[in-house]
Amino acid sequence: MSARTLSRPASLEALDETAVPLAGGTDLVPLVRDGLVEAETLVDVRSLLPRGVEPGGIGIGAGTTLADLERSGEVPDALREACRLAASPQLRAMGTIGGNLLQATRCWYWRLAFPCYLHGGDRCHAREGEHREHAIFAVEPCASAHPSDPAAALLALGAVVETTRRRLPLAELYRLPTEDDRRLTTLAGGELILRLRLEEPDASVYLKAMDRQRWSFPLVGVAAARYGEETRLALAGVAPIPWALGSPADLDAATPLPGTAYKVDIARALVGRALAAVR
Amino acid sequence: MARLIRTEKEVEGRYTEQWIVVEEDPLDRWPEGPLEVVGRPAARVDGLQRARGEARYTADLALPGMLHAAVLRSPHAHARVRRLDFAPALEAPGVRAAVGPGDCDVLVEEAGYQGAPVAALAADTFSEAQAALARVGVEWEVLEPLLDPDEAVSRGELIEEASRYERGDVERGLAEADVVVEAEYRTATVLHNALETHQAVCEWEGDELTVYISTQWIWGVRKDVAKRLGLPPDKVRVVCEYMGGGFGAKIDPGDHTYLAAELARRTGRPVRCALTRREENLASGNRHATVQRLRAGAKADGTLTALEGEFTMAVGWDGFVSSTAGPMKMLYGCENVRTVELGAKLTTGPNDAFRAPGFVEGTFGLERLLDELAAKLELDPLELRRRNGADADPVDGRPFSAKNLAECYRRAEPHWARRGEVRARSEGPWRRGVGLASQVWYGGGGPPSYAWVRVGSDGRATVLTAMQDIGTGTRTAMAQIAAEELGLPLERLSVSLGDSSRGPYAAISAGSSTTPSMGPAVRAAAADAARQIVEIAAQRFEVEERVLSLRGGRVVSEDGKSWALEDVTGLLEDGQILGKGSRGPNPAGMRVLTFGVQVAEVAVDVETGEVRVERIAAIHDVGRVVNPLGASSQVEGGIIQGIGHTLSEQRLLDPGSGRALTVTLDAYKLPTIADVPEIVTELLDVPDGHLTSLGSKGLGEPPIIPTAAAIANAIRDATGADVRSLPITREEMLRALREARERAYAL
Repeated sequence: MSARTLSRPASLEALDETAVPLAGGTDLVPLVRDGLVEAETLVDVRSLLPRGVEPGGIGIGAGTTLADLERSGEVPDALREACRLAASPQLRAMGTIGGNLLQATRCWYWRLAFPCYLHGGDRCHAREGEHREHAIFAVEPCASAHPSDPAAALLALGAVVETTRRRLPLAELYRLPTEDDRRLTTLAGGELILRLRLEEPDASVYLKAMDRQRWSFPLVGVAAARYGEETRLALAGVAPIPWALGSPADLDAATPLPGTAYKVDIARALVGRALAAVR
Repeated sequence: MARLIRTEKEVEGRYTEQWIVVEEDPLDRWPEGPLEVVGRPAARVDGLQRARGEARYTADLALPGMLHAAVLRSPHAHARVRRLDFAPALEAPGVRAAVGPGDCDVLVEEAGYQGAPVAALAADTFSEAQAALARVGVEWEVLEPLLDPDEAVSRGELIEEASRYERGDVERGLAEADVVVEAEYRTATVLHNALETHQAVCEWEGDELTVYISTQWIWGVRKDVAKRLGLPPDKVRVVCEYMGGGFGAKIDPGDHTYLAAELARRTGRPVRCALTRREENLASGNRHATVQRLRAGAKADGTLTALEGEFTMAVGWDGFVSSTAGPMKMLYGCENVRTVELGAKLTTGPNDAFRAPGFVEGTFGLERLLDELAAKLELDPLELRRRNGADADPVDGRPFSAKNLAECYRRAEPHWARRGEVRARSEGPWRRGVGLASQVWYGGGGPPSYAWVRVGSDGRATVLTAMQDIGTGTRTAMAQIAAEELGLPLERLSVSLGDSSRGPYAAISAGSSTTPSMGPAVRAAAADAARQIVEIAAQRFEVEERVLSLRGGRVVSEDGKSWALEDVTGLLEDGQILGKGSRGPNPAGMRVLTFGVQVAEVAVDVETGEVRVERIAAIHDVGRVVNPLGASSQVEGGIIQGIGHTLSEQRLLDPGSGRALTVTLDAYKLPTIADVPEIVTELLDVPDGHLTSLGSKGLGEPPIIPTAAAIANAIRDATGADVRSLPITREEMLRALREARERAYAL
């Protein structure tokens, strides 16, 4: 660990822009330990974050754990299932929904600190290297895959994010990396997610393909949510950010790497099943 | 009388000749089937200590003043150290000593794999040691990696000379065949990942060294450390009372032990050197990947006329070529067999023994090939195997000490007969099927191995032997054997093991040999003590020895009289009855092997490539079963580990740099409890009539051997797709399904 101290702020609004907030810590602590996040001080926000689910025009506090959500009768099926299929019971008991949306990629090149594009380097090592867990959309300039199951569910559910500074659709929380800015989110320094708001769908579902039955990030996750005649689809594990799919036919536009072409087959099958499940 | 003999010793399929002194093994064989204690399920005698955290593992040890070592390892697959500067590290807080190449001969200047140890230092805490490592100045000259085994072979980069084997005339056999099948099979590099990482604590007292170590062989560590450090073996004490798993990779002392010993010598303090999980995934051994190019020919009736295999093993920078051709040579009575085994020298971590090394990989290839052959012959796969059974060792014609594979096949029938019903449960995208595969392996153990038994005046007994229980439950099995012989309930037995200074020489725990090596020695020691108890009782109670026996904690006379054991031993007050026993020789001129068959049921989602193993029936013949409960947990462990290798585990390397990408347990995917199917264990439990007075063989390895092939064959039954590469990931499953569809269209 390079972080030396833990501070407890009086309010969430007062965080300065270099603050590294700590809630569940399930991703942050390993990242600090491995030197992938540099922080002299971690800011403990757990007790300040709203926690829990408010029914009726559903609001979810950012400090709500995945374990809370998988047991909640108030949240749509897609989100509950995405939480249940994520990580392990121990991790779900600690990890918060806000942190889950902001977790870093599992790309082994990035995690092992190869000087890759996402780390500010000039190329994506996964493209010519081992990339079976990587992207099928937006594979340039970085082929990493977003690992969050709940993010795909919340994207399909049209979640709106409330931060300490603004309200924005979940889709706008994420961005693809560019030459001059390699970040994958639009969150400013010191800005914190406080709450998520979403509308109850008529039906929703989350389906997940992984390498084993439990405790594995998605090779492909598919969320579908139906509101009246409209069904929204979103995918996990297929692009550097959670990926909204306009229609099943959009899978024809996938640009997989040689080692990720199989993910298109899986996505096709799961999208078909998800649409059938919410019909 | 002590007898000096020359005998053949086998460990993991490698034979050597050696002199041993054996005592006659005059004990009568126990009758077949469950006895009073042996053959009945027994909970682990140390189960509660383990569950409560009272069992002290090497990882738990904290000696006063103990320092912690951290090892500087090569970040490159192939590199040379140009310059090494310890000065800034030695000034770091808590640092007490540092060593580099030249200080300890496990440290290298040319690193042949990522993780090769280059330098080490010791500090007051592990985090201080790790922090100081970052301050060691090191300049690397990065060299070319070599990762592809076929390329290494073509360049002549071999670990050792190619191993060739031939019997009969393969060309003639192929010419006589009505059907020939040929295919290439691949298995991935997989890692042991024992719960307890490789570690040792070394402590010097004068010129004597104590090594606390997580090891599968106390006496091997003692011998190797003494030799390398130039010490008389009696100056090295090795301790391992509880151990968190080895699976073959903890036989040698390992670099960490020599580093701890050297740093302890330099600092005058005990030093721990423990691998982190990441180091464990880089530099603690692996099961090497294989490429197997195989061919089989058979008559229309299924008689095998030829088997041929070229096996290329991705051994690594160092290591050994495991006998992947073994099953092809040994499992079937085919007259014409030719194999070549090539061990590629690569810039990857050295392999190490891993639970039936070679045979797991080779059985996947051979038993997949047999299934493809059965399909082409339109013959039942079980029947094909039956028709090619070997009545004697096909390699040298030796008779088997016991072989009950035909009985295993008979016991497999009800499981095999489920396939109609299993297939009928296919629905939607889920296709179901059943597959089977056979198993051959060693597992006879051997001498030398010794045990002592001590019976106190309280009528309790202790088995003393400097063996190790690597987590398999041998402590319990040894207690059961001694309890049986002494006529004592199990709870009056203790077993003292795990310390070379506290008992006689004992065998390695590898090659499925602990129970067959140690069990007969323990039984002989207990019998020696029992004999003395009977002699004493006969004198004290003025009866003839021949009418006395030990049962239920009592000395029982044929006329119905009996005396509590403590009434006999209690006469001695502080005196003790001391029995000693040794392992007799293996049957001369015979081949001692284990056999079995597994029947797997799978479900395959043909749209997403998901494979679920739903049920595995494991039928094995390992002679007498000492503890059916411990045995079934060995079978379950082997199958679960096998499922990991079959479906999800693989070490991946970056093809450019040769650096490992799967060094943490989120990336290297071991099976979880949710991946475990229903496992049905059936052990024949027939003592091997030629092997020791116990008739037991080992069970550590047999259950992992046929699992991958049985699953892959079940996948073929379910889907028609031929999976030829492990692990069967989603992409491999979808590829095989696509290939099967294309084949079907082409017809």
